[in-house]
Amino acid sequence: MNIVVLVKQVPDTESLVQIAADGKSIKKDDIKWVMNPYDELAVEEALRIKEAKGGSVTVVSVGPQKAQETLRTALAMGADKGVHVNDPAAEGGDPLATAKILAAAVKGLPYDLIICGQRAVDEDNYQVGAAVAEFLGIPHISIVAKAEVLDGRIRCHRSIEGGTVVVEAPLPALFTTQRGLNEPRYASLPGIMKAKKKPIEVKTIADLGLDPATVGAAGRKVVIQALRLPPERKAVRMIPGDTPAAAAEELVRILHTEAKLI
Amino acid sequence: MEREQLEFDVVFVGGGPANLAGAIHLKQLAQKAGREVEVCLIEKAEAIGAHSLSGAVLDLKALAELIPDYAARGCPLEETDLRDGVFYLTPRKQVRLPYLPPAMHNTGCAVISLSKFCAWLGAAAEELGVNIFPGFAGVEALYDAGGRRVTGVRTGDKGVGKDGKPKSNHEPGVDLLAKVTVFGEGPKGSLIREIGKKLGIFSGKMPQVYETAVKEVIELPADSPFWDSPFTVIHTFGYPLGLDTKGGGFLYRMKERRISLGLVVGLDYEDPMLEPYREFLRFKHHPLIADLIRGGKVLQQGAKTLAAGGWYTMPQLAVDGAVFVGDSASMLNVQRLKGIHTAMKSGMLAAETVLDAIGKGDLSAAGLRGYAARLEASWIRSELYTARNFGQALSRKGLFKFLHLGAQQVSGGRGFIDPMKTSEDGAALKAGHAAAAAPAPEVDGTLYIDKLTGVYLSGTQHEEDQPCHLVIPDTELCVTRCWETYRSPCTRFCPGQVYEMETAEGGRPRLKLNPSNCLHCKTCEIKDPFKNIIWTCPEGGGGPGYTIT
Repeated sequence: MNIVVLVKQVPDTESLVQIAADGKSIKKDDIKWVMNPYDELAVEEALRIKEAKGGSVTVVSVGPQKAQETLRTALAMGADKGVHVNDPAAEGGDPLATAKILAAAVKGLPYDLIICGQRAVDEDNYQVGAAVAEFLGIPHISIVAKAEVLDGRIRCHRSIEGGTVVVEAPLPALFTTQRGLNEPRYASLPGIMKAKKKPIEVKTIADLGLDPATVGAAGRKVVIQALRLPPERKAVRMIPGDTPAAAAEELVRILHTEAKLI
Repeated sequence: MEREQLEFDVVFVGGGPANLAGAIHLKQLAQKAGREVEVCLIEKAEAIGAHSLSGAVLDLKALAELIPDYAARGCPLEETDLRDGVFYLTPRKQVRLPYLPPAMHNTGCAVISLSKFCAWLGAAAEELGVNIFPGFAGVEALYDAGGRRVTGVRTGDKGVGKDGKPKSNHEPGVDLLAKVTVFGEGPKGSLIREIGKKLGIFSGKMPQVYETAVKEVIELPADSPFWDSPFTVIHTFGYPLGLDTKGGGFLYRMKERRISLGLVVGLDYEDPMLEPYREFLRFKHHPLIADLIRGGKVLQQGAKTLAAGGWYTMPQLAVDGAVFVGDSASMLNVQRLKGIHTAMKSGMLAAETVLDAIGKGDLSAAGLRGYAARLEASWIRSELYTARNFGQALSRKGLFKFLHLGAQQVSGGRGFIDPMKTSEDGAALKAGHAAAAAPAPEVDGTLYIDKLTGVYLSGTQHEEDQPCHLVIPDTELCVTRCWETYRSPCTRFCPGQVYEMETAEGGRPRLKLNPSNCLHCKTCEIKDPFKNIIWTCPEGGGGPGYTIT
């Protein structure tokens, strides 16, 4: 079973995100970068399938030099090799342009199954997985909470409103992960040592046979016009009172005299 | 349980400036000598620098010795045009000191973010081939069968649930074995505490004393009056702490319209109702500071203790198989308010000794004695020895401190009494719980923020499902003697709101812990009057996520 996992390096959700001077991107300094949490689920699932069925796990990422840290993390968790598309022409793409690069990178690899996060938590587009499957002409199952590899097929459980739907597709196929699929393992210290020696193949857009004008910022069909931070929430006001009754009385007073709601 | 073992020549425990400089220097020396040394460095933070917080004004002396071309190699210095202003604050006014003692001059130093600086040192160490493992906490020192020789360190298990049982992703810690283990855990390390009990490295020394700093990085508007201030490095004393509690404020200029603002509070304070965080807010509201920071926005906040005891509190520096560096070994110069350059230098001297000792094959305490000898011959000794009674004088009440300081100034540090004694911070609290007279300082959520917003802005994260890393041996004591005598000072001295007292049924107080808020500052273990809080390392990778502090 040859499994390919698509991973992305994203800002840690606890990072303080600030909008850059252009108003269309974020400031990239002083941010902690981590593997997209949904991709961690994908790596873990791939490793579990490999442990049960044998085979190999290859992780693929598109991004600047720094993104190699995320590939190393996946290798430290137990993946066998990495492919890093590192080319300035690949940067700034929309989901479709990025999917085109990933599909081209995967095409050169042996694969029976592709797993990726349902979305990257930076831009929340939910599109790359589906688009990669489309480019490769293989079935795609989204937001999977449980996966079983059968003989030549994959069976996936998806949570829907009020229940679960079970779907199957012939391999090769691509599925995207949902929380609860598994609990990702930690990269162990010996694992990190070993990962230093595992191969990461670096590719450019030209290596993949793509036209630079069709990918990255140049290939964008969806253009970001502006980024805005969510409105700041007002501080919560605690209603004082030694007893519940006194607090309730104070609340009524505030609603009546200050907020003038009652 | 069988644990995996990994062998190195030298293992550094902790990724602060002392150990990073030590690891770099060790590799440099080995390269020069054409020798192979396998070096490993572990750090409990998720990234090197993520738990590093300091003022910080760096004396560039040690850095220039370690990496002479640091500027060309992109060392992140925030400000090199240092113009000192020291102010005595009264509640509404300030008086600028016309004369600065030589130790307070910062010309030739640089303002840095310790977090950025450590990340940079970490990258330099990695380039030299140091195996750096962020996200791995040392939880236990390892000993040989005789129990006297340190043989390495055990890293913490990961994936253990609240109930202490392994989870599906359980990853047991490993034993890192080394010829020499270098402990640079910062102030109040949880491993050195246990080593101290076992091998007596603190016996015969004066007790270590500490200070807690709360610090913020604030972004100021382009038209802030601070940009026209004649001073880029401001220190204050007096208000809000007064002259009976040691400590003071600082405000330093950084790059990108940012400043570093903080208040340091000596943990030998006596009033159990004192709250360092609240004092920090009061400091910010002082007209001198409030005018300078108007229109600003807090970008990051954090807190950390520093070991301020100095020369007479320095532990035994080497035991069989291990040495101690940086704040762990009391290298900070409290007179100059600086400890990074001495920490780095101590790491470098330790590295020289360790390489020597490995070459000679004698890794016993005697074989590592060269570390103390090198230190004795270095500028660390001249700095720290001159300042040997300085912190103790500052602890004196009111104006008496100035008599002592003046006498020390003219006698090379000897003063009226030498050595002046230190005493344990935890024992300093006086019984009583009169409510603070001053009203609570105002917060606005942007420039003046409450503790929990501060915790949020520190980027602190812990795995929620893990055993509580704060061990309270006697929780009954919390709601009886401690509550009655001091009204639970943990709820005030902790800058992360880890400790809260709830009212349980029947109106009885009950201790509630929020260990996920922990900033790893260790004030609690130091200041608890009953020594009823033991700080242990939570799962590796947890804690603050400082990037610009």
